[in-house]
Amino acid sequence: MSLINDVRTARPVAPDADRPGRGERVVARSGPGHVRADLAEVFRRDYALVVGVAARVLGSRDEAEDVAQEVFLSLGRSSVPTGQARGWLCVAAAHTALNQLRAGRRRAAREVIAANDDTLPDVADAVVTLEERRRVRAALARLPHKHAVALVLRHSGLSYADVAAALDLSPGSVGTTVRRAESTLRKELIRHASSD
Amino acid sequence: MRHPTEGVLRRLLDEPAGVADADRAHVVDCSDCLAVLAAARDDAHLVGAALGSEGSADVDLTAAWARHEALAAGGSARSTSARAPRLAAPGPSRPGRKSAAGPGRHSGPRPSRLRAGLRRPAVAALAVAVVLTGASTAAANDWLQVFRTERVAPLSIATGDLFALPDLSAYGDLAVTSEPDVHEVPDAAAAAAETGLDVPAVSELPGGVTADPVYQVGGKVSATFTFSAEKAARAAAGAGEPLPPVPPGLSGSSVRLDAGPGVAQVWASSAGAPALVVGRAVAPTAFSSGVPFEVVRDYLLSLPGFPDQVADQLRSFAADGSTLPLPVPADQLVTTTTQVDGNVATLLRTRDRTLAAVVWVDEGVLTVVAGALDSDEVVAVARGLR
Repeated sequence: MSLINDVRTARPVAPDADRPGRGERVVARSGPGHVRADLAEVFRRDYALVVGVAARVLGSRDEAEDVAQEVFLSLGRSSVPTGQARGWLCVAAAHTALNQLRAGRRRAAREVIAANDDTLPDVADAVVTLEERRRVRAALARLPHKHAVALVLRHSGLSYADVAAALDLSPGSVGTTVRRAESTLRKELIRHASSD
Repeated sequence: MRHPTEGVLRRLLDEPAGVADADRAHVVDCSDCLAVLAAARDDAHLVGAALGSEGSADVDLTAAWARHEALAAGGSARSTSARAPRLAAPGPSRPGRKSAAGPGRHSGPRPSRLRAGLRRPAVAALAVAVVLTGASTAAANDWLQVFRTERVAPLSIATGDLFALPDLSAYGDLAVTSEPDVHEVPDAAAAAAETGLDVPAVSELPGGVTADPVYQVGGKVSATFTFSAEKAARAAAGAGEPLPPVPPGLSGSSVRLDAGPGVAQVWASSAGAPALVVGRAVAPTAFSSGVPFEVVRDYLLSLPGFPDQVADQLRSFAADGSTLPLPVPADQLVTTTTQVDGNVATLLRTRDRTLAAVVWVDEGVLTVVAGALDSDEVVAVARGLR
């Protein structure tokens, strides 16, 4: 089972992830009010990466840190083996951020309209930046979910093997998925740019 | 042998070691696969720029961990379902931090990598245009002057074209022989003394622009582009097409680009961003080392990756011989022409009407007036320069 399905069904602990491979570090399942012993170590190691994944989806550092905190809270209550935590966190961050993005599209549109109504010269850069963000994030939200996650993970620096393991794909399929997602996103960006 | 899949070709861009030797060997000699590879590379570049985050390397790990511990202690009753994230739930926040779901929440005007991605090719395109445009007019030592800017004309390029423009350095060596050394000087007199230019004086500032300007000057910048058939061949392979036959004598021939000196007067807005900029510089010139310019121009225009539409426009400009094409992202700017002191000037404004600029060339000197102003205001400033 892929990690993405586990996350989408709101099960922070993947059944497969509960079965550590040979030599993998076993993490005791946490009881109520307890967190896993390796959390601080994983947090130090992967927090910046997880923020980066969410930021690519949301285009906002602050919102990305919110998402990162969210998924680390979930990890803290899970027994995902340490060796699989990075992939689990990245998928969870991408998924959570995409959900937040889709939920927030209407709000973001209102923000852009409000910003465009503001004609003060010194907000010109902010207006352009917001418009770019809106366009990119809207296009990302329209991608098939798995394509969007694969795209974000790959552009966050995960290897093909890591993306494949996280999404239960073959490395060759990762290339195809990423390629299709990039092609679709490019067409969306060009189409919307030309229609402005 | 069958062609590798698009997925394999996509991986070739990121992890060539992960692609089978047979596939890699096939791609090198297959123009079809090279074309697919080039398209994949362009898309990856565009999407990479579009998805560029604002950086996570500088996260405050200590503060983040403290926040996490506080959330874990105080928010344990909160479900963290990834399907229905509730990030707006009350919880400990960093001092002064905005609510995640607060109204009007958005970050400040940080530079965007997407926008940077749009601009960098435009600069490269300008350099290409300088090289490509013009006709021989005078000799200087062993250099043949092939271009001198006499007026500026707009050249609209769609965003897609900007990304597709070839980088000149991929077709040879670009050696910068003189740096501009931009620095601030105390006043107009000092700027004039350093640059040898008449520093334009604004007769009447637009409403809302106040105080005295800051003067910045830069010296002459000079660079030499030497065409390399070997580099061009590699670039062509990367673009998925074979290199067109190189005309005799072209390989190793050079074009020298000169620009400047220049001076800029900058009026800051209350927020610190430039509200008005008046710039003047010796316009770019290009010299060829003897190879007929038309040969260099036509060959470069024929290179793989150069959009047909832009190439056609450049050819028409080249026939004029005295025009500096100004690459403009057509999806963001609107261009028109106007008159400033008897010169044809190009007027540009953003589609949201927040920024405008007017630029013209008079006797080899380029002047630009730009700012967070209306088109009428920048034209009024331009026509009022003394």
